[in-house]
Amino acid sequence: MPRHWFWWTMTAACVVWYSTITVYVAIKGAADIKNMLARLSATKAREDAEESTNGV
Amino acid sequence: MTNFNWLLDGSIVGLYLLITMVAGLMVRKYVGKVEHFLVAGREMDVYLGIASLAATEFGIVTCMYTAQNGYEKGFAGATPGILMAAAMLVVGLTGFVIKPLRDSGVMTIPELFEKKFGPRIRWAAGVVIVLGGLLNMGVFLRTGGQFLVLVAGLDVRYLEIMMTALLLGVAIYTILGGMLSVLVTDFLQFVVMSAGLILVTILILMNVGWENMVNTVDARYGAGGFNPFINPTMGWQYVVFNLMLNTAAVLTWQTIIARVLAAKDTNTGRKVYTRTSFFFVCRFLIPGIWGIAALASLGPVTNTLEAMPQYLSTAVPAGLMGILIAAMLAADMSTDSSYMLTWCSVIYNDILAPFRKRPWSERKGLFWNRTIIALIGIFLLLYGLWYPLKGDLWTYLGVTGTIYLASISMLLIACCYWNRANSWGAAASIFISAVIPITYLVMEQLPSTAATARTIGPYYSGIATYLLSGAAMVVGSLLKPQSGVGLRKETA
Repeated sequence: MPRHWFWWTMTAACVVWYSTITVYVAIKGAADIKNMLARLSATKAREDAEESTNGV
Repeated sequence: MTNFNWLLDGSIVGLYLLITMVAGLMVRKYVGKVEHFLVAGREMDVYLGIASLAATEFGIVTCMYTAQNGYEKGFAGATPGILMAAAMLVVGLTGFVIKPLRDSGVMTIPELFEKKFGPRIRWAAGVVIVLGGLLNMGVFLRTGGQFLVLVAGLDVRYLEIMMTALLLGVAIYTILGGMLSVLVTDFLQFVVMSAGLILVTILILMNVGWENMVNTVDARYGAGGFNPFINPTMGWQYVVFNLMLNTAAVLTWQTIIARVLAAKDTNTGRKVYTRTSFFFVCRFLIPGIWGIAALASLGPVTNTLEAMPQYLSTAVPAGLMGILIAAMLAADMSTDSSYMLTWCSVIYNDILAPFRKRPWSERKGLFWNRTIIALIGIFLLLYGLWYPLKGDLWTYLGVTGTIYLASISMLLIACCYWNRANSWGAAASIFISAVIPITYLVMEQLPSTAATARTIGPYYSGIATYLLSGAAMVVGSLLKPQSGVGLRKETA
């Protein structure tokens, strides 16, 4: 075990965890953006349709 | 002399800036309402939230002060990160405060206060939040410019131009796309920033070596470089102050809370907290390692804030240098955009609330939000240029942040969980938590009181602010008994 094992463990955990989470979030986050923009588009289309119906 | 290569590294940085600006501008077409602009229509999901929160809470300024902590305090300097991660994990797991806050459907924290304490407290809380937040953010630009000038080896005369260019780029996409642009650019910035941070850290660990860093800290700071309680510049008061500060930040710092409020539901907000919590250890430890590597390689320097960028300018090879600068630009831009949007949301939603006797049209609301962001940008430019920073950066940020963190955290906890809390207690709490840190800052600046300020120190002053702010809430509320109905009953 290296000297100052607590800080060694924390440093190793940071490098491993951060590397893993970066790849994972990069993949899943891109899907989140796609879905978020799709939901916003759908909401806007629905609101536009309601407005035009109310206008008629 | 720096390893920055204008052709290779400059191209990497230019490509990053181009992609970010295009992405930030492309989503502006989805902004039709103030709700889209301020909270992204509450459509944010978990992983986008993690990316956005991590990118926002790590700017160049973060990198600079945490590296300074590593340089000046050794590994013990990463203690605030561990405390913040623990606070975030507990809050995320339990839903403490953030659950009732998100369930209430508000866009800002002061909006929730109006339900419990009335419109005056909402307005006062808004002023305190913006005051503390803008003073805090005031040093971001200069510090970011300092880093970039040093690492890229530019003439220091270009610092102001660097600051202005940085802010202008960020302001353009934030003004046009609001929270939607912030979220999308945050995502890109998270990926670029993380890649740069990880690669540079691995390079440093390989080149400088773990044993070398441990020996340097040991020789320079002894056991205090590894244990904050026995470090002469830290001690129990440093740990307690940072525990209070970081817990309050997790509960009320508007840029963090903005992710909970933009989340598509309460559970998503809580998951963002629990899954991002360990990032806050990385946020302090990774730049801390860079600071320790600077100590091991450069030895004693006169300006400890500049030690890390000076070291990186020669330690990082061309190619990786471009990735590092793109990463730091990413970190800074994501922080600046989120912060500008956040303080804008409070100014519009809460401070300007008394001026909206009738609801404004979405068009007028968007116009004012965009104008406020532009004005915040101008303020930051002027304040960033003129304010001379005294003492270390983390302490300055802690003291200015405390102006609002102490009272707003007390108000929020009382608002959510204490039926007896009322406007007297809230007003007393806000007053106390603004007066103590501002007095301390003024005393630090005046030659006649600077010595007294040093004797008291920022940690005791900070602890006193949190304790007295809580006491003021209790005493003030008990002095004005009321038959108010608690928030839990209202939302039930």
